[in-house]
Amino acid sequence: MRRAIHVSLVVALLLAFGLSAAAQDPADYQRPVDVAPTDEVIGEGYVTPEVQRPRSLAPWRQVLDMALLGGALLLAAWIVLKRRSRRLAFALTVVCLAYFGFYREGCICPIGSIQNVAVALADPNHAVPYFVIGIFMLPLLAALFFGRVFCGGVCALGAIQELVLLKPIQVPPRLDRALGSLKWLYLVAAVALAVLPAAGRDFIICRFDPFVGFFRFTGPVHMMLIGGAFLLLGLFVGRPYCRYLCPYGALLSLTSRLSWRGVSITPDRELDCGLCNKACPYGAIEEMRAVRTSCLACARCYESCPVHLSCRGADAEAAS
Amino acid sequence: MSRLTRREMLGHAARGAALVGMGGVTAYLTVKAHDTYAWEIDPNKCINSQLGALGVEICDACATDCVLPLSAVRAVNHYPECGRCYICPAYFEIKSAVGPDGLPSEKLCPRDAIERKAIGWIDPDDPANNFYEYVIDESLCNGCGRCVMACKEPAGLGSIRLEVRHDVCLDCNRCSISTACPEDAYERREPAA
Repeated sequence: MRRAIHVSLVVALLLAFGLSAAAQDPADYQRPVDVAPTDEVIGEGYVTPEVQRPRSLAPWRQVLDMALLGGALLLAAWIVLKRRSRRLAFALTVVCLAYFGFYREGCICPIGSIQNVAVALADPNHAVPYFVIGIFMLPLLAALFFGRVFCGGVCALGAIQELVLLKPIQVPPRLDRALGSLKWLYLVAAVALAVLPAAGRDFIICRFDPFVGFFRFTGPVHMMLIGGAFLLLGLFVGRPYCRYLCPYGALLSLTSRLSWRGVSITPDRELDCGLCNKACPYGAIEEMRAVRTSCLACARCYESCPVHLSCRGADAEAAS
Repeated sequence: MSRLTRREMLGHAARGAALVGMGGVTAYLTVKAHDTYAWEIDPNKCINSQLGALGVEICDACATDCVLPLSAVRAVNHYPECGRCYICPAYFEIKSAVGPDGLPSEKLCPRDAIERKAIGWIDPDDPANNFYEYVIDESLCNGCGRCVMACKEPAGLGSIRLEVRHDVCLDCNRCSISTACPEDAYERREPAA
């Protein structure tokens, strides 16, 4: 018995030795050729294949994205301000979520472009492509004319929160205002970190984007958890990210303050029922008038209005 | 046309001012945006392809640090410079045990992205005396740089290099690979034609 163990041990040792001898040391490896063989040397009609080259930047795609963004903004403005249709606004939101969110994987979005634009403005050696300028400016321009239609109709980050908002509760106005100032802090921090010298720069908006992980079906675990927490909170509190953290929302609320048109609630004097007030999950209706800076143009108030039809259109506007 | 109220007038003025401001910013950015710079890797600086950098650890920052799920960097075999070796050190793990066919039993690429094809007819008695074509599958390669390191002098001819796929690169202002790159091989410049 002992002898058998002994023999098997020797065999195992020999085997191990043989295997290690067979394994080559990288230093022993001899390069088989000194020059690359040409087609003639290889012969048999061999043709060297084309080297893989990176495909072009596909400018048509960027133009398409920009056109779609512009078109969606105009469509959102028409749906919300003219048609006053919640159903259409919701449909547009879903389409934009599908395209800008899941298909284009949430990039590039105006929210993150704040920092790119800030870098391009501050650093003489940096520039952003035309496309990024367009993506950054179009929603601001739209806000200057029609209010925050980007938030309500087009933004993928807003849309994913819009979808989960099932049981909206009203946030106490004072708390709402206090939390709302966070987005300004975030904006200031984001711009401050972007205009630092290159080594210290940190693109926090994109790094801490809570929903982009869902669009890409992958992401850092902590961000997925934070995104999940935002969505859970979003079941009851309407669009927590948009209202309290979104730095682009801060910019939009600034420009929408000057907006030419916006969501306007024009109740008849007899019908100051205040249903719209209750319907607004974003605390954007004060004393039965939409507050342009915080109105996200979702058209819920119109949907809730019992005299929706009479509330509608230019006469109502003129009557106010 | 009805007369404007003071309030409307102020509103128009403010909007006009905002438009002018935004227009100014747009114009400034547009003048700058004229360049088409993109991230590029300098193969003479990349530790994996840099000649003379021998016996160093493979740097796989390109594979691990890109924000994309599959890195925007991939390895490219420059065929005209490829030795088309029988035992390609970038294809085979040359330290692995030799199999019954006389070839190393393991492949180097962790994602099995390299395909080895014999060119023409192979003499069964002397398969070493033949040329082999090595094609890297772009959809599998994540730019980990192992093949790049293995192919360079003195083992190979250094025909494999890491390159940025401009069509998928998000062109982040602070490219996270460039931040992680130990050799400052990442530069923003005009992409080679």
